[in-house]
Amino acid sequence: MQKAIDRFYKVLEFLLIILLSGMAVMVFVNVVMRYAMNSGLTVSDELARYFFVWVTFIGAVVSFREHGHMGVETLVALFGRKGRVICMAVSNVVIIGVSAIFFWGTWKQFPINWSMSAPVTGLSMGFVYGIGFFTGAGCVIIALERLIRLLTGRVTEEELAAFAGENMSLEHLAERS
Amino acid sequence: EFNDRNIRVSNGINADHPVGNGIEAMQKCLDEKSGGKLKLTAFWGGALGGDLQATQALRSGVQEAVVTSSSPLVGIEPALGVFDLPFLFANAEEAYKVLDGKFGEMMNEKLAAVGLVNLAYWENGFRNLSNSVRPVAKWEDFEGLKVRVMQNNIFLDTFQNLGANATPMAFGEVFSALETKTIDAQENPYVTIDTSKFFEVQKYITETNHAYTPFLFLFSKAIFDTYTPEEQAALRECAVVGRDVERQVIAELNKKSLEKIKAAGLEVNVLSPEEQTRIREKSMVVYQKHMDEIGAEIVDAVLAELAEIRK
Amino acid sequence: MTLLVFIASLVGAMAIGVPVAFALMFCGVVLMWFMGMFNSQIIAQNMIIGADTFTLLAIPFFVLAGELMNSGGLSKRIIEFAIACVGHIRGGLGIVAIMAAVIMASISGSAAADTAALAAILIPMMARAGYNVPRSAGLIASGGIIAPVIPPSMAFIVFGVSANVSITQLFMAGIVPGLLMGLSLILTWQFVVRKDNIQPLPKAPMSARLNATGRAAWALGMPVIILGGIKAGVVTPTEAAVIAAFYALFVGMFIYRELKPRDLPRVILQAAKTTAVIMFLVCAALVSAWLITAANIPTEITGYIEPLIDRPKLLMFAIMILVLIVGTALDLTPSILILTPVLMPIIKQAGIDPIYFGVMFVMNCCIGLITPPVGVVLNVVSGVGRVPLGKVTVGILPFLLAQTALLMLLVLFPELITVPAQWLR
Ligand code: NA
Ligand code: NA
Repeated sequence: MQKAIDRFYKVLEFLLIILLSGMAVMVFVNVVMRYAMNSGLTVSDELARYFFVWVTFIGAVVSFREHGHMGVETLVALFGRKGRVICMAVSNVVIIGVSAIFFWGTWKQFPINWSMSAPVTGLSMGFVYGIGFFTGAGCVIIALERLIRLLTGRVTEEELAAFAGENMSLEHLAERS
Repeated sequence: EFNDRNIRVSNGINADHPVGNGIEAMQKCLDEKSGGKLKLTAFWGGALGGDLQATQALRSGVQEAVVTSSSPLVGIEPALGVFDLPFLFANAEEAYKVLDGKFGEMMNEKLAAVGLVNLAYWENGFRNLSNSVRPVAKWEDFEGLKVRVMQNNIFLDTFQNLGANATPMAFGEVFSALETKTIDAQENPYVTIDTSKFFEVQKYITETNHAYTPFLFLFSKAIFDTYTPEEQAALRECAVVGRDVERQVIAELNKKSLEKIKAAGLEVNVLSPEEQTRIREKSMVVYQKHMDEIGAEIVDAVLAELAEIRK
Repeated sequence: MTLLVFIASLVGAMAIGVPVAFALMFCGVVLMWFMGMFNSQIIAQNMIIGADTFTLLAIPFFVLAGELMNSGGLSKRIIEFAIACVGHIRGGLGIVAIMAAVIMASISGSAAADTAALAAILIPMMARAGYNVPRSAGLIASGGIIAPVIPPSMAFIVFGVSANVSITQLFMAGIVPGLLMGLSLILTWQFVVRKDNIQPLPKAPMSARLNATGRAAWALGMPVIILGGIKAGVVTPTEAAVIAAFYALFVGMFIYRELKPRDLPRVILQAAKTTAVIMFLVCAALVSAWLITAANIPTEITGYIEPLIDRPKLLMFAIMILVLIVGTALDLTPSILILTPVLMPIIKQAGIDPIYFGVMFVMNCCIGLITPPVGVVLNVVSGVGRVPLGKVTVGILPFLLAQTALLMLLVLFPELITVPAQWLR
């Protein structure tokens, strides 16, 4: 099971690399074309924007799994183990709540986005706005799994330390400024 | 029968635009009809999000109203692309007749089908071209001009077809881009050219009147349907009162803006009627190209109505 | 009252450890519920529309350029160049640190990444030369926070988009204050080390100095391309960002040959994750910003501070103090995203130049990166330089004071920002 999950995140990471590279190449080629040949592909500007949306919302789930989202740990860091466990539980309940609302809103709005097409590519905006399903569901599942482990006492010390903002890697610090 | 209603009206433009006068007049009319129960709260400068976003919020019943140009909405209702067609209306009178008449009604039905009630057609004004390179008075003068346009296929094709290099760009970057000569030209109504100070960084302006994209006063159908018939009627009637005031103010302001642009030292050119006809004929390829996505019956209907008027 | 609900829900959620992005969504939900207009579509729509903005595309590209700059050996060449230029002066390595920080700031927008690169190379050197280590670490951290003030800058892009202000103009206006930050640090450094007995580095022979300059030339070309391109109007900030990324890739791979093709996926993935973290926050902030606007909260605040509206300098002073306080606990991007929708209408009403305000605001939020208890750049310098956090916090004090004093000077004399911004426009 764990292996399958890890492989799934490897696929997501691969997707992120492809999307970001794709964005960079499209915008770069457009700049070159615009100055070298005095013409540009309007398609690539639009597509790059949609890649950007996907990078943001796929990357948000990947980062959430790695405790990568910025938080204010000042108060939590002052607490002992018990206090941290309580805060982490409540915090995950909040995350489940808002992510579920995000998913639900995406669902309710899907028909009107599906029927709208992008100005240049004509792509249905359902593909762009539908990413809310992935991110909403992804965050709910991760937070729910954490909550269950918290309530059944199976949470690791590393996770609690990460929640309190301890032992942050340089990559995590770089994401914050 | 009137209930207390707070109607949030989103605007992409700023409060000093004539739409502000229109909304004021509309509120006055609503006060009289509803005894102060129907309240418009206007949000300016895209404070509640861009036009497209606000329109989507209307469709999902999140927000009451928006005043938006027709162009950003073609993804929602492709038929609206008809208003982006180059050199469609020759003057404001033609536009008023078509919009306030049979054809406007036909478009309103299309909008209702996608969850939007169009209360009235307000005015954005004819779009004109300014640039920093050369006077533009004929077709050939467009050649090679780097023109900023909205991200809209018909506008892109119109200017590519004229020989210009059309570049889509966010509105917020246009001033800097003109100033630093990243782009040579932009196209907007006089009032926008004035209020956004584009004239400060341009040398020439041409009254091309190349597009008349109306403002729509859209209401959320989901919310509108919950209102009483009296409330609905008051909103429709007062939107027309507001429309008339707005059109009048914009006409005056257009003159003032043009004077200001002239006083700033810009050379003003006009397309001669012959040249305008020539360009319109040359632009028919754009009509052909977009006929299918707009809907042939729509394009034919508007051209037929215009032919009737021009008789 | 709505203001109170906004603050209480946001601060409450953040305090129990909810990540800022989710806390902003939560605060949006609470505001909707309080205003009696709960609708899940408000969340969904505002979240995604936020990322669908071409201007914001500059963020991943500048992040990528910064990552490539560090992985491709450009930072190292810049520091060597600075040593060759000023290493032999009294207090030389400190001046080297600031000079390198300023040059790197004009390539990258990340305070943490720049600080890490500087600290890794310079702190061991400074320790060997006999400088007080915590003080050196403090200097490098306060030099690192110049990165978001001198363009390119993710902070300016985020502010520009949420305040609807031209990013090009913000970039140009940031140059002089960024240089002033460097200058104030050099002056403070020379003052605090005046009594230390440290042998400056031997003056390198001319040929060695020319060599170092030659090796650094490719790296030094980057600020010229970015700033020159934007200033000359050849490119927009987004285009400059993508050009910078490809240039750094080219130099790192083919000129310095420190970047191997197998490193690329790691570098790109890191840039993608950083982008996602920043952008997810931007998107969540748009949810609460929409509701702040719909609830007319700025008007409520304007009511409270009515007497200050006619006194722009006093108002600026008050806001700067507020931002300094917020900055002690909150990171750079969240501070900008949370405060901009609240403050911007007030700034406009008070007639304060939005570009000037943007520069001051970003500079102030950067100072927040080196104030305890939450100071990301302090953590970076402490981790990379292996100096205990407590000692860095003491070592940084003189420089923190200098930066704050500079900020207050700029409140008194806005012309120091606005006049050069006019020249550079
Ligand atoms: Na920078
Ligand atoms: Na801080």
